Amino acid sequence: MTTLLQVHNLSTYFYTQDGVVKAVDGVSYHVAKGETIALVGESGCGKTVSALSIVRLIPDPPGKVVSGTVQFNGTNLLTLSTEEIRRVRGAKISMIFQEPMTSLNPVLTIGRQISEALELHRNMDRREALRETVRLLELVGIPHADRRTRDYPHHFSGGMRQRVMIAMAISCRPQLIIADEPTTAVDVTIQAQLLELIRNITRDLDTSIILITHNLGIVARYANRVYVMYAGMIVEHGPSMDIYHDPRHPYTLGLLASVPRLDEPRKTRLVPIEGQPPDLIYPPKGCPFHPRCSYVTPSCMEGFKAELMEVAPGHYSMCWIAREPKPWKKTSS
Amino acid sequence: MAVAVEVARPHHTLWGDAFIRLRRNRLAVAGTVIILVIALGALLVPFISPYDFAKQNYDAISLGPSWAHPLGTDELGRDVFARLLYGARTSLAVGIFTQAIVLVIGLPIGAFSASVGGRVDNLVMRFVDVMYAFPDILLIILLRAIFGGSIFMIFLAIGLVAWVDVSRLVRGQILSLKQRDFVTAARAMGATGRYVTLRHLLPNSMGPIIVAVTFGVPRAIFAEAALSYIGIGVKPPTPSWGTMISDGYNQIFAAPHLVAFPALAIGILMLAFTFLGDGLRDALDPRLRR
Amino acid sequence: MLKFTVRRVLWLLLVLFAVAFITFSLMHLVPGGPWDREKELAPQIVENLNRKYGLDKPFFLQFGHYLWSAARGDLGVSYSYQDRGVTQILLEGLPKTATLGLAAFLLAIFIGIPLGMAAALRQNTPVDYVSVFFSMVFASIPGFVLGILLMILLSVVLHLLPTGGWGSIKQVIMPAFALAALPAAYMARITRAGMLDVMRQDYIRTARSKGLAERIVLVRHILRNALIPVMTVAGPQLAYLITGSFIIESIFSIPGIGRLFVQGVFARDYGLIMGTILFYAAAVAVFNLVVDILYAVVDPRIRYD
Repeated sequence: MTTLLQVHNLSTYFYTQDGVVKAVDGVSYHVAKGETIALVGESGCGKTVSALSIVRLIPDPPGKVVSGTVQFNGTNLLTLSTEEIRRVRGAKISMIFQEPMTSLNPVLTIGRQISEALELHRNMDRREALRETVRLLELVGIPHADRRTRDYPHHFSGGMRQRVMIAMAISCRPQLIIADEPTTAVDVTIQAQLLELIRNITRDLDTSIILITHNLGIVARYANRVYVMYAGMIVEHGPSMDIYHDPRHPYTLGLLASVPRLDEPRKTRLVPIEGQPPDLIYPPKGCPFHPRCSYVTPSCMEGFKAELMEVAPGHYSMCWIAREPKPWKKTSS
Repeated sequence: MAVAVEVARPHHTLWGDAFIRLRRNRLAVAGTVIILVIALGALLVPFISPYDFAKQNYDAISLGPSWAHPLGTDELGRDVFARLLYGARTSLAVGIFTQAIVLVIGLPIGAFSASVGGRVDNLVMRFVDVMYAFPDILLIILLRAIFGGSIFMIFLAIGLVAWVDVSRLVRGQILSLKQRDFVTAARAMGATGRYVTLRHLLPNSMGPIIVAVTFGVPRAIFAEAALSYIGIGVKPPTPSWGTMISDGYNQIFAAPHLVAFPALAIGILMLAFTFLGDGLRDALDPRLRR
Repeated sequence: MLKFTVRRVLWLLLVLFAVAFITFSLMHLVPGGPWDREKELAPQIVENLNRKYGLDKPFFLQFGHYLWSAARGDLGVSYSYQDRGVTQILLEGLPKTATLGLAAFLLAIFIGIPLGMAAALRQNTPVDYVSVFFSMVFASIPGFVLGILLMILLSVVLHLLPTGGWGSIKQVIMPAFALAALPAAYMARITRAGMLDVMRQDYIRTARSKGLAERIVLVRHILRNALIPVMTVAGPQLAYLITGSFIIESIFSIPGIGRLFVQGVFARDYGLIMGTILFYAAAVAVFNLVVDILYAVVDPRIRYD
């Protein structure tokens, strides 16, 4: 498989009045052609910022990408001119955002919002773009698509708006779609429909997807590989089945314990992760997770190195007690 | 079950916090200082300036600024500096007294309308809407023409037109506060409607009212200047900045300072109140509180 | 939409009725009648005059008669201009006042909105601070103060422009700027606040993620939303400007409605005062109604029912 996107040592900081927020701190990941990867973590862990950094949509000021490279088809997106990165956005890399309620412009029709990208990147005239818009809306399952192009976002329900966002994202046949919590804000019953829709549409086009979510349950079904982020760093990554069945970081373990699983007896209790997400201005010394970790040892603070170690083939973790298989059983009783 | 609690941060009241925020706002501080300086000058003018506001001196007509007359003299040989400070008395009096009238009318009507609610409230608000439909300066002029008489009638004319803002504000404040939990709690403990209004609702809507009143002052000052400018304001020889502008305007080529100084004075005083009002709004706005 | 318009028009008529009634009642409270002159008129003449103008009739009959005429466009007689009715006098002043007001309105838009945009796009830079400071100053200094200062500078000192009068473009410049300063400052403030609010909305990020050029994001996505609140204040501002400022008109000797009104006040011409107030109130109300309807056209979220 050829690598489509290679993010290397990316750091994005926010310079605020209270101090420097290290929202993303030395993150590396890659996406192969046609592959779906997932970035997983609590809100505020840097997963959205790391994805927005790829297409340089970080509001500056206060945000700034301070180091790293983003190789996309062999070119570093971070060194492109504004004009060049614009030609990537929407055309080769498109995005689906979390909030369908606020991510569409309230005073423009749905048709206009989809067709403006078509006119820009596929050089269509108004009529062609409108025809294509109708086709796209039909593709994402919006009934009476030809009439609904003239409607405004507030005429649509949350789920329908997210379908519009999907239509917008696929409109220019991008090679990569960044889906930032695409189902968090919609009803549970619609979440699965939307994810199936994204998968079905993109499979035919061989599109790669970066799926950003805090729900590890989604990941097992839709992603090939998973990156778990905590405090602006990747703390564990590997094939999603391995992560799901054999997590090698206490944080991942905590995330898994906090979502319901179908493959375990029902009486297992859902356990929230204790404590608050870390302060990114003054991160804890040593392993960032140690204040909340139930397996913490003195060496988690002194002499800790923020490095990923291969704990199983293709499976990496930042936690050093995780090197042995299933290390959690002995203490978690 | 008394638990000793150590408070790390010095305890501030709501108003104390607002005062600290106000003091940090440089424009608001500047506005306050300007207002105080003008007010002091207006109070102490007999000690500051040897001239009387009405004393005419035909040997010194329409002079430019000099050591004897720092801002010159007018067409009747009166000292402009002294007249400006006496005129400040008029402007400040108008600003303060009209707002007092505004409060006396607007507060009870707004509070009454909101606490009674229903059809009465509806009727009062429709009346307020009608008041808004009037071009306010023209209505003031009409009232002024009807009342005639002394400077107090000017206060009344302006106050009778300006109260609608405050009454609408008070009503809105009380209606939104009514929905809040602490009022429900007070009700649940058996407090009566009037008690709730006086003890809980009015004090809690003080912030926005203070801001509105502060912004009302420059508008009243402007209204008085306008009345005096067109000759139906303060009666001569009592100095008013508006009258001074209208008198000086006739000599704008010969002695431009006669119209420039009172015009600047009005602009500066109004600006000072606006700075203070902006500062108060920022200081008292609960949405900005952290 | 039609229902909304009809209801609003009915309400407007009701308000104007109330305004007329209040003004009419107030005028009857006025001590002294329109015939108070330095030289007292003989009682017989006063009686004749009263009869001629219908002032001897009962109050409600007079009011009803006034309303009936006003509805047909006749705002009654002016006691100081014997040869013309109030409607005629107002119509003579209107073109001047409206021209000046429109000029000031255009100035306010073309100064205020770009100023607010620049401040928002360069937030927390000197551009922003200067813009915010100036809009604060001009929002709180009355237009006639500015007018006088402009006149001293441009007419008295530099001899560039005439001090007043009506008829040439040069005579419009100063009063238009003096009149425009306040609404321009106001629009700059609202534009800035609106832009800042819209610029951090999610849909702006969406627009950028499509690869649109900054210019298109600004014009199509940011401005369309940010100017909606500007429009709501522009309506009342336009009404306020078109109806003019009587002080500005007096200072610059422009024979518009405002100056007529001042003259009417001096002459105790209550017919003219009443007509002017009613005319102003009607103009403001109609403008606000038009803006409310336009508002629904610009902002699709608004529905009237």
